Amino acid sequence: MADYSCLIVEDSPMMRQLLVFAMARVRNLRVTEADDGVDALRKLATARFDLIVTDINMPIMDGLKLIRRVRTDENHKKTPIIVITTEGAEEDRHRALQLGANAYITKPIQAPQVIAKVKELLGIA
Amino acid sequence: MTERKSRPPKARSDRPPHDLNKERDAFIQTFLKKGVQLTEELLKENERLRKRIGDLEDENAMLCAQVKSDNAIRELISKIQDLETEKNRLLSRFHEVEARSDQYAQTFAEVEAELANLASLYVASNQLHSTLSLRGVIRQIKEMLAQLVGARSFAIYFVTDDGSQLVPIAHEGIRTEELPTVRVGEGPIGHAFSTGAAMIAEESDVSACAVDAPAACVPLRIEDRLIGVMALFTTFAQKTRFLPVDYEFFKLLAAHAASAIVGARLFADGGGKTPGIDAFLDLGV
Repeated sequence: MADYSCLIVEDSPMMRQLLVFAMARVRNLRVTEADDGVDALRKLATARFDLIVTDINMPIMDGLKLIRRVRTDENHKKTPIIVITTEGAEEDRHRALQLGANAYITKPIQAPQVIAKVKELLGIA
Repeated sequence: MTERKSRPPKARSDRPPHDLNKERDAFIQTFLKKGVQLTEELLKENERLRKRIGDLEDENAMLCAQVKSDNAIRELISKIQDLETEKNRLLSRFHEVEARSDQYAQTFAEVEAELANLASLYVASNQLHSTLSLRGVIRQIKEMLAQLVGARSFAIYFVTDDGSQLVPIAHEGIRTEELPTVRVGEGPIGHAFSTGAAMIAEESDVSACAVDAPAACVPLRIEDRLIGVMALFTTFAQKTRFLPVDYEFFKLLAAHAASAIVGARLFADGGGKTPGIDAFLDLGV
């Protein structure tokens, strides 16, 4: 049985699959995938998550809007959020941190870096 | 014969003469005095010797205690030396274990990194062949280059039917008008095609490369046949050099990108229909 749960919000199937592979290295972590912000909100409404990893640039609802919504949601307003940003998107990164994101990872992602950040935010030694 | 009239013997007194009495008394007195004096001296000597014995006993006890204490100290010193030896042995063992632990940690990190690289390659390969749509294949190649390699601007060139030129069929991060048509054998892109060898910048900062001096030119093949070149012009600012896994991505693209693109094109030309079963029978394999 999983001790922790994580929601990955990413529109690129390739990045999503890569993140899922990376998260599989974290013991006792259950991963749920969402295609975009709206899909993520739908999943957040039905389950509790210990961590959210989200891309910024996504169709329908982007990562920034998602963070704003999550931070006003009673159930998840304290859930740690990691944003995945691309180079040249310092404005987005800054905005995301202002809105309440806890950390950011720059693409191209390195799995060990993602794992370390996830463990840090979940408080796993 | 004359008979001597014997006179009665003069009576002899048992009593000593007076002088002798005096002398005797004096002697006795002296003797007694001497005796008393001697006794007193003996008593004093006895007392002194007793005291001396007492002192010696005390001294002896003290020396015994000291000897005992010295022995205890010697034992303690010996114990400390044993403990020091044990400590050094344990420290040496600890350092050995620590070194081995560091080695394991390093090996673990290497295995983890290798696993992550293999996962990335698997994901890239899996996604590249997950679609038969030409746009889908191109999108996957673009994503692979942008998301996994960190490419900012790149283009995919295909060779013309007459084999003289390379024309861009897809690009990202660069305007169409900036993309030159390349003559085979000319420039880094044309040269990579004509030689069939990938050109990858290893010394310079790959984020600062340009269209006329790309960071990487990777010939694309279908089996042994060269059909184009993937030109990666610049990378994101934080990506200043290619990692070992990037070379594996280039190999993957070299071997699979062209077949995925051509396969998708042929599938589209065929109306997106899966061939009937007859097409797969009598293949002779």
